[in-house]
Amino acid sequence: MIEFIGAAVQSDDDRRTLLHPLTLSLAERRVSVIGANGSGKSTLLRLVNGLRLPSQGRVEVLGQDTRKAGGAVRRSVGFVFTDPLSQLVMPTGREDVELSLRTRKLPAAERRLRAGEVLRRFGLEHLADRSIYDLSGGERQILALAVVLAVEPRILLADEPTTLLDLRNDTVVRALLAGLRQQVVFTTHNLDFAREAERTLVIDGGRVVFDGTPDDAVACYRALSTQPDGGPAGDGHLLP
Amino acid sequence: MRGFGSTLGLYRPGEGLLYRWPLAPKAAASLGCAIAVVGWGSVPTTSTVLALALAGLLIGARQSVLQTVRMLLPAAPVLGILALHQGLSQGWVQAFVVVGGIAGCLLAARSVTLTTPLQVLLDGTASLARPFRRLGADPERFALALSIMLRSIPYLAGLFVDVREAARARGLERSPRVAVTPLVLGAVAYAHRTGEALAARGLGEHDEGDDRGQDHERVVG
Amino acid sequence: MQPTEKTSPGPVVDGRPSSRKRWDTTDLSLVAVFAALIAALAIVPGIPVGPLGVPITLQTLGVMLTGVVLGPGRGTAAVLLYLAAGLIGLPVFSGFSGGFGVLAGPSAGYLIAFPPAALVAGLLARAVLRRAARFRTVLLFLACVVASLSTIHPLGVAGLMVNADLSLRDAVLVDAAYLPGDIVKNVLAALLAVSVHRAFPRLLARPRA
Repeated sequence: MIEFIGAAVQSDDDRRTLLHPLTLSLAERRVSVIGANGSGKSTLLRLVNGLRLPSQGRVEVLGQDTRKAGGAVRRSVGFVFTDPLSQLVMPTGREDVELSLRTRKLPAAERRLRAGEVLRRFGLEHLADRSIYDLSGGERQILALAVVLAVEPRILLADEPTTLLDLRNDTVVRALLAGLRQQVVFTTHNLDFAREAERTLVIDGGRVVFDGTPDDAVACYRALSTQPDGGPAGDGHLLP
Repeated sequence: MRGFGSTLGLYRPGEGLLYRWPLAPKAAASLGCAIAVVGWGSVPTTSTVLALALAGLLIGARQSVLQTVRMLLPAAPVLGILALHQGLSQGWVQAFVVVGGIAGCLLAARSVTLTTPLQVLLDGTASLARPFRRLGADPERFALALSIMLRSIPYLAGLFVDVREAARARGLERSPRVAVTPLVLGAVAYAHRTGEALAARGLGEHDEGDDRGQDHERVVG
Repeated sequence: MQPTEKTSPGPVVDGRPSSRKRWDTTDLSLVAVFAALIAALAIVPGIPVGPLGVPITLQTLGVMLTGVVLGPGRGTAAVLLYLAAGLIGLPVFSGFSGGFGVLAGPSAGYLIAFPPAALVAGLLARAVLRRAARFRTVLLFLACVVASLSTIHPLGVAGLMVNADLSLRDAVLVDAAYLPGDIVKNVLAALLAVSVHRAFPRLLARPRA
């Protein structure tokens, strides 16, 4: 359960509003967020695990305030970035998974065992000791998912997880995400992918301009993108 | 520069006494060679260091003579000039003391990196920071910083190659500013992304008091 | 580079106020990435400069740049991390393959001078960026010159005298050969630093309480 309570974000120099005050709660298992580049999608995601703190209002995740308990929130919320290379820290996949497990304060032997299991579960065992630079884009993104899911977060955030992938890997990563038990909130420019959610938010200029079913949301987003200064069209309920 | 990360470790699997030795005595011996050469430069010192280093590589690590000579290639130009200068100005004995000493130290150091896997080196380094914990040193963060540094080198070297190619394509290859600016901006942006990714994974942060103090685990896996 | 829609490059990474004395994860990764940057600059082939195309290696550029971009604290830490990596045997030093052996080499003095060089350059750069609104490039260039003349060259000469057994006169002569390249690198460091601080204004400008 993710709750935004009047949460707004100003830019660092305080000149622009990146996200206007937002109040809504997300309980659906799959939530997608769509919108143009720079509309505030990433800011919204980063609010959820406290990478960004609201300049007014607050955000609560599983009942915990991201400002007061940032560390605890990040321990239960995983985050997958667009570019896996900015996410993977260690030279090989095995070491990176072990690094993730380090936050769980396990003894080294236990960590090694668990890392092996995780890699097996994601079909990455044969690549575990290769340099991450020798992996393909798709393999890297799956590895990035594996290192995040290794610590079994209760919520997963994914910021355009398929943008850098080719069609085949796009399918693999989407199938992987679809099979997760966790609540997943993701941003994407791929409208088919967005439709796989149960609920979709459309963001424009730092405001959530539509909140409803994926099909209506996609229609709204299309209308927004084709008529630059016309208001959003579509049937769902429009937010102020 | 693909795959550069795996070549960063200079470890080459092999057999021999040095491979079975733990890191600490090897590192201590290598450091000892450097201190001896710097502190007591003389014919006996240089002879001893050279003999030790050669014995270590040829017998302890079972390297061939050719392999051993090749290890000095990167430093050869500097050593050659220095040998010539010393020989002509102060005599060939002094040239042997100075250049032989340096070569011995380089070989001794190489015998350590040759026979020690990268991970063992890194673990050893992190554990060196452990006694300084009371002074505020954090071995875990040190080890993490070292890892991030290692995985960033191939990224940056690759970026550098790309940037230089792009500059060449625009006919700007003679301008170092054009060649380096995107590299440095890229490095800062990359550091911010990595910092954010670490925070998102809950790594490298100071714990918020809830589970500090019972940190009983080993520093590096 | 991915087209990122991240709107703030500033280190707002974790929730605590920036006046906090301990470094956050962005500081940690800046230190690590700049240590890597020095290494990358030290090991890539030099760039041909000017009509003659004489290559200059960029190791000292990396050190200066680290000081003026990250400031004294993080800058010095990054250089120390770089040295630590080289001393344990990673091949990150120009020309030599790393390890304790370099301590006996002719360039040992230069290596030892790197952390104080980054410290001095960082202290001066921080003062420039906080106080001066104009002539920043020139002032940052001067900061680099002061740092390199007060640390790198004296310690470099000392290293040449001790390790290469050169007389003071010879050591100064050898060292002087690096001066023109150094001036070029310091100009470059200043230009780059201005670009970086324009692109990432919060990097050094915020006062650390």
